[in-house]
Amino acid sequence: MIIHTTRFGDIECPEEKIVKIPSGIIGFPASTRYLILDHDRDVPFKWLQSLDQEELAFVIVDPVWFKPDYRVTIALDEIVELGPVDERELVMFVILTIPSDDPSCMTANLRGPVVVNAETRMAKQLILRDDFPTRAPVLHGVPARPVTVGHSISLVECHR
Amino acid sequence: MLVLTRKITEGITIGPNIRVIVLEIKGGQVRLGIEAPHAVQVHRDEVYARILEENQQAARTDAVRLPPFTQLQDLVKKKA
Repeated sequence: MIIHTTRFGDIECPEEKIVKIPSGIIGFPASTRYLILDHDRDVPFKWLQSLDQEELAFVIVDPVWFKPDYRVTIALDEIVELGPVDERELVMFVILTIPSDDPSCMTANLRGPVVVNAETRMAKQLILRDDFPTRAPVLHGVPARPVTVGHSISLVECHR
Repeated sequence: MLVLTRKITEGITIGPNIRVIVLEIKGGQVRLGIEAPHAVQVHRDEVYARILEENQQAARTDAVRLPPFTQLQDLVKKKA
C-alpha cells in the first residue's frame, strides 16, 4: 500500500512491515499503525511514521547505542497487548526530541521507551517505574562507530 | 468531580474491577493501594504528563536529514 506523509511524500508500505501500537504513542491515541523508515543503514536514527496521521512522525533510536548500560525491567502484565512474548523477540527503541535550530542538543526519552514484539509487530509505549529522564542528552557518549547492541530488556511476571 | 471522604483502610470501587484503598495518611501525604486488572495502566499524574509533553515535543521534529554516524562526531565536537 502507498501511504501519504507530510515529511517524506508518498511511501510504499508493505503490509507485513506495519507496526501496530493499539494504545498509541501517549498523547496520540488516534494513530495506532506505524511504519519504521530505516533505509539508511549509516544513520543510527530511524523515523517512526504514522499511517493514520500523515503529519505524525518521531525520530527513534536504539537506546543502547548511546547508553550501553540502559536496562529496563518489564512486567509481562504491562505488555499483554503485544501477544505471547518471547524475550528474544522483544526490541526496544526510544523517542528523540531534536531541536531544529540545534540538532546537537537532541535528547532521548528514556522514561517512555517503546517495546516491539518483533514476531507479531505489536508495540507499546511504556512508562517505566525507574526514574529515568525524559530528556537525556544523546550526544555525549556516542561511539565513533556503531556498537554491537546487547539485550537490555528483562521480563518479570508482575510488578505488583 | 465526585468527591468522597474516606478513612484509613477504607476504599472506593470504580467499575466492576478497580479498587482504591487508603493505606496511610501522614503529614500532607496519602498512601493509596490500587487493585486493577493488568490491562489498566496506573501512573502518577505528573509522570504521565511528562511523557505526553515530551512526545508532543518530539513530534515537532522537522524532516531534517538525520546525521549519519560519521557526522555525529562533528556534532559532538561542536557541542564540546
